[in-house]
Amino acid sequence: MTNKEIAIKEAQKEKTYIIGLGCCGNGVDGNASEVDVKDGKIIRIRPLHFDRKYKPEEFRPWKIKARGQVYEPPMKNLIPPLSLGYKKRVYSSNRILYPLKRVDFDPKGDRNIENRGKSGYVRISWDEALEIVVGEIKRIIAKYGPYAIFSQSDGHGETKIVNGGHGAHRDLLDLLGGYTQQTRNPDSWEGWYWGAKHVWGCEPVGMSPISNLMLDIAENTDVLLHWGCDAETTTWGWAGQSASRFLYWFSDLGIKHVFICPDVNYAAAVHADKWIPILPNTDAAMQFAIAYVWLTEDTYDKEYIATHTVGFDKFKDYVLGKEDGIPKTPKWASELCGVPSRTIKALARYWASKRTSVAHGNGGSYIRGPYSTEPARLEVVLLAMQGLGKPGANQVKFMEWGFFGRPYEMPIPRPVVMPQVFACYHGFDVTKYPKQIIPKDLVHEAILNAPISWYGTSLLAEKVENQFQKYTYPVEGCSPIHMIWTDSPCWITCWNGGNKQIEAFKHPSIEFIVAQHIWLENDCLFADVILPVRTKFEELDIGVDGLSGQYRTIQYEGQCIEPLGESKGDWEIACMVAEKLGLLEQVTKGKSIEEWMKVGFEHSGCAELISWDKFKENQYYVIPTDTEWDKNSRGLQDFYENPEKFPLTTPTGKIEIYSERLAKHFPDDEERPPYPKWIPYGESHQESLLCDRAKKYPILVCSNHPRWGVHANHDDITWFREIKTCKVKGPDGYQYHTVWIHPKDAAARGIADGDVVNIYNERGGVLAGAFVTERIMPGSISIDHGAKYDPIIAGELDRGGAINTITPGKLTSKNATGMATSGFLVEVERVNLDELNRKYPEALRRHFHPTAGPGVESFIVGGK
Amino acid sequence: MAKVLVVDVNKCNGCYNCQIACKDEHVANDWTPYAKPQPDTGQFWTKVEEIERGTLPKVKVAYMHQICQHCDDAPCVTACKEKAIYKREDGIVIIDPEKCKGSRSCVDACPYGAIYFNWDLNISQKCTFCAHLLDRGWKEPRCCDACPTGAFTFGEEEDLKDVIAKAELLHPEYKAKPRVYYLGIPRKFVAGAVYDPEEDECLIGAKVTLTSLKTKKNQTAKTDEFGDFWFDGLDVGEYSLLIEKDGYYAQKIEPVKTEKDVNVGDIKLYKKA
Repeated sequence: MTNKEIAIKEAQKEKTYIIGLGCCGNGVDGNASEVDVKDGKIIRIRPLHFDRKYKPEEFRPWKIKARGQVYEPPMKNLIPPLSLGYKKRVYSSNRILYPLKRVDFDPKGDRNIENRGKSGYVRISWDEALEIVVGEIKRIIAKYGPYAIFSQSDGHGETKIVNGGHGAHRDLLDLLGGYTQQTRNPDSWEGWYWGAKHVWGCEPVGMSPISNLMLDIAENTDVLLHWGCDAETTTWGWAGQSASRFLYWFSDLGIKHVFICPDVNYAAAVHADKWIPILPNTDAAMQFAIAYVWLTEDTYDKEYIATHTVGFDKFKDYVLGKEDGIPKTPKWASELCGVPSRTIKALARYWASKRTSVAHGNGGSYIRGPYSTEPARLEVVLLAMQGLGKPGANQVKFMEWGFFGRPYEMPIPRPVVMPQVFACYHGFDVTKYPKQIIPKDLVHEAILNAPISWYGTSLLAEKVENQFQKYTYPVEGCSPIHMIWTDSPCWITCWNGGNKQIEAFKHPSIEFIVAQHIWLENDCLFADVILPVRTKFEELDIGVDGLSGQYRTIQYEGQCIEPLGESKGDWEIACMVAEKLGLLEQVTKGKSIEEWMKVGFEHSGCAELISWDKFKENQYYVIPTDTEWDKNSRGLQDFYENPEKFPLTTPTGKIEIYSERLAKHFPDDEERPPYPKWIPYGESHQESLLCDRAKKYPILVCSNHPRWGVHANHDDITWFREIKTCKVKGPDGYQYHTVWIHPKDAAARGIADGDVVNIYNERGGVLAGAFVTERIMPGSISIDHGAKYDPIIAGELDRGGAINTITPGKLTSKNATGMATSGFLVEVERVNLDELNRKYPEALRRHFHPTAGPGVESFIVGGK
Repeated sequence: MAKVLVVDVNKCNGCYNCQIACKDEHVANDWTPYAKPQPDTGQFWTKVEEIERGTLPKVKVAYMHQICQHCDDAPCVTACKEKAIYKREDGIVIIDPEKCKGSRSCVDACPYGAIYFNWDLNISQKCTFCAHLLDRGWKEPRCCDACPTGAFTFGEEEDLKDVIAKAELLHPEYKAKPRVYYLGIPRKFVAGAVYDPEEDECLIGAKVTLTSLKTKKNQTAKTDEFGDFWFDGLDVGEYSLLIEKDGYYAQKIEPVKTEKDVNVGDIKLYKKA
């Protein structure tokens, strides 16, 4: 045979599946990919080519034309490396292949709760695992009632639909009489949700509608202010890389990209015309100074303020210093935020003289720091001062295009339907909750310091009025929690005050923790029993690419390979437990997986466009572009043109710079007053350089959503870990999570590029590998969250780089139930590895995979 | 008919899709007779190199790409005594994984450092332009298929001649006749900002003149809304920088050395008395 004949023969052995590989996880997928399988093994993952089974004219390719140029999306999905490298997740050395039990956990004897996070695990059979889990459920309910079971089940990760993932056991717990639910807060939208919603409504999360804004920007915008936004990173796990192409195109059109952030993030690295470095979580100071320049130079839209807003005068007085005697001048701001006063003035004038839109992409220290309500509210005020909603002047988001399945979220030409398969989704429902809840960012407080109370369910779909409602835990008549069932075991590496949560996991009141997960990582290390879960390649499912920046698809996601080891589906595990409890039929409603898929398909909006049989045969369907797409208004255009006819959802229908509602409900709240103020510190947080703590911990942390993963996902992909911005290999061969530090700060601490450092404050320490770089401003370090936890001393010192273990444990502010995970104080020191080895020989000598990091073998007794 | 690859550095967003897709294709997959499996880590048949340019706040990042150049006068082909390396009719250079005896002479011979040695298999390995996929009908290798921005263009030399005319070779001095062309290879920049310290204002519209001390050739720029100026695409050398604005004393900075990208910093101009 010739080489070519061999190549063709090999090709014939391959079979292709279409699988969504976004990591949003909550029933909304992205990154539809082609997966080639040969001999029961995944061979490759590549972009879905939309024209694989359909002629382009069948789905009506769209174009955006502006300034004599044309933008056309490519015929392939622009998937990120996170999807391309995902095969490594499937075959990871970190996969849990059979049920595990903590070696010193005896449900009938000594539970050794204090050893969670310390003791290793041993293999058990599924029979034994189910016997323990079912036994504990029965025992807990008999002793305390059903509310003692805590369902910790939401979050990001693989997007499974029929097979659930994130909350697949909730139906079962409902049937058992109820449970306590962890409510999913609007993470990454903290400031918008708890702050901006009070100013401009913009339900559900407090960000502007963005319909047709790519067209609007292309036609009308002069400047895009990327404020804390990294459109080359945070989009990846959701919708791939369309944003990247748009940013290049906007440059071609002459639109300027100005980046305001502590770091030269990955979008700034290639798109910035101007980088304005600013200290983490000090943006509010600069925002006030911009307002000051506009007020004193009379360069704001007074008519708009009069017709579209209420309460401007109080804000104006505060800016000019009439209220507190401190004019918020550029000089005043400069000392607080590190931006030269002349640059603040130049920026203010630039903004006022050019059509400017502000760009976002979730995460970072701008919107996730302490008191993030303030920069978010201030942004709305600044946008209003320049005629928010006029052509070219909007707030735009470079990701989550269609997250809630609504046309107002589509900055690109919309399809005829926004496909959704919630009808067959067995994961968590953001609109439903039992009578006892604990917001995700208060779990540690609930366990350690009950009773507690807070405002708002903190569910991301709640209307702003819910933020005025007080909730308590425990609810009268409900037991406090005594058992945790988690299918999203990444609390400590993704949420607030991780070390506090570890204390909570080890609290004697928590009698049993069962985790079900694909990989042995993070919170799994605190579970008593761990159940092995399959990846989505190992099961049949339906999916949608509902976030793509090109074309929407619905996928018949075939089972690519056999399940690895003894792993099971998330929903299957719930069904196995249900069967033991005699509730199987009630959970499955008598339907098979494929029957559920059909239910989803029939309610997806696509059943009118393609038959089930054709869909199944082709494995995917591309939703045609709506020919009327350009009729949708652009961003807040309608409100700009006619605020009476198209009011906002605020009580006055206008932009409420002063919120009467906040004043009424929280009259004494100095941490979120009725209108935005400069709040560097307060009762909840002392995380500013102005605090005494800063003498001991003088560095502000910028912690973005990760470049090389989605939250806790992807951290074991060996191909990423050899990239310097992902991991830095220490002299001991361990790959430390990368921290960016400026040469000046590094030199002052005797830190060289490649050194192992300890990032610490009184909440604990986190080891990391130093990347000495000009890409971060002095006085700040940048470390992505989401690294896999690898305790040296659980709750105190981490080798894996899980920075969230030392974030503040408190809320955004006392009445704003968000979390604060960026823009907090630490110190950094060079680590003497020899000394560390002497001090913690057991932890430092624990097995780790040289290129994949800690994994199953690290935590199994005997290493196997 | 011969294949070429054109890499447009200006369009590379640094996502590493090319590097990762290459690993997805070649790690743990055996494409004999084209290539045996690439080791899981340590080999980069197509490699992204991050180049940090300048100092705060004038910082940019360029992503260069190292890949087998599939040279027409490939030093590896002549260096291999086993004659295990051959050039296909379509220009692709292949190391026959079954003929390679592990002499490593090609590894030393390749001036681009594009050949890796696999100690487990005792063979040399490198990029094949995914010839096993081209031969089954693919139009382009995995790195190009995965590239989201169009920074990688693969095709027939004849079809791409207009692009090639604008492109340049990496190290033409090696005289190996590479089949990989580059657009936008980063050179050096000189940047800075101009301000009036007495007024505490950025100076807009100041004239900045950069003169090569060697050739005496000069170029000018005006400071922008932030008082910033940039000169990019410069050769390594020594320059003088003259900053002028009406009503201000001019300032000259010399020499400005461009071994690295240079941020001359914030330059103060003082008003004439």
